[in-house]
Amino acid sequence: MSTSVTPAMTVDYVNPVISSTRNVFEMMLGCTPRRTGLMLKGENAPKHELSAVIGITGKAAGTIIVSFSKEVAIEVLQRMVGTDAQEINSDVCDAVGELTNMIAGGAKAQLAHLELSISIPNIVSGPDHKVHYQSEIKPICILFESEIGPFMIEVGFTSLQK
Amino acid sequence: MKVLLVDDSGTMRTIQKRCLNKLGIMDVVEAEDGCQALEHFEKQEFNVVLSDWNMPNMDGLTLLREIRARNKQIPVIMITTEAERTRVVTAIQSGVSDYLVKPFTPEGLREKLEKWVAVTT
Repeated sequence: MSTSVTPAMTVDYVNPVISSTRNVFEMMLGCTPRRTGLMLKGENAPKHELSAVIGITGKAAGTIIVSFSKEVAIEVLQRMVGTDAQEINSDVCDAVGELTNMIAGGAKAQLAHLELSISIPNIVSGPDHKVHYQSEIKPICILFESEIGPFMIEVGFTSLQK
Repeated sequence: MKVLLVDDSGTMRTIQKRCLNKLGIMDVVEAEDGCQALEHFEKQEFNVVLSDWNMPNMDGLTLLREIRARNKQIPVIMITTEAERTRVVTAIQSGVSDYLVKPFTPEGLREKLEKWVAVTT
């Protein structure tokens, strides 16, 4: 099996992620996020304090990462279950993880021809944390603004071809 | 009315339990994965099972098959992000009663429940 990658491959996955994000935010958080930017991941990408990471395998492989500031992550928990938090705790992580799971699941459903499977979300936190990809993947950062604040989704994919 | 609610996310269990309570269903037993759920299932009587698909230790599909090996009649509703046709077909072939895709509305859950059990409110 050989692996071939072009930036266009990742772009193919961006629109399903955007539409799924909009749907999940509207249904679970009661607000409509607006895409404000699209950029290749680099040093100038915004920093966040909490990221939910979901691995994807199938006829394509990659990662979807949803990143929030502490304040936005806490608001996600508040809107989903009505629970207040002051700091990032297990409840905040669980809410962000489930929200990310739904976003990835919705995008996956739009890419049914790729027969994708998604992993259970892992949560990474810290004021300057980094998530690294395989060297051949060029992830795209999708920047959003919303009623609960800004957030970012990274999408990095490679197609696997026999 | 007694419901077995299976989801590894505490957030989703809270949301679903709240929906069930609003429908007058107060007797809800929670499980974090299929293994826990099966333990409850073997010790208690339930009217309906609501289960996630992707969970650690034992996933929802395996749980469904284990339940069907013990009980062919009990309604089992999968509540999951796994919405593709092939997944739904696999679940149907394994004996799922109904299927609800996340994210869902409280009305969506109510509609599914009303098909299978008597909801009083």
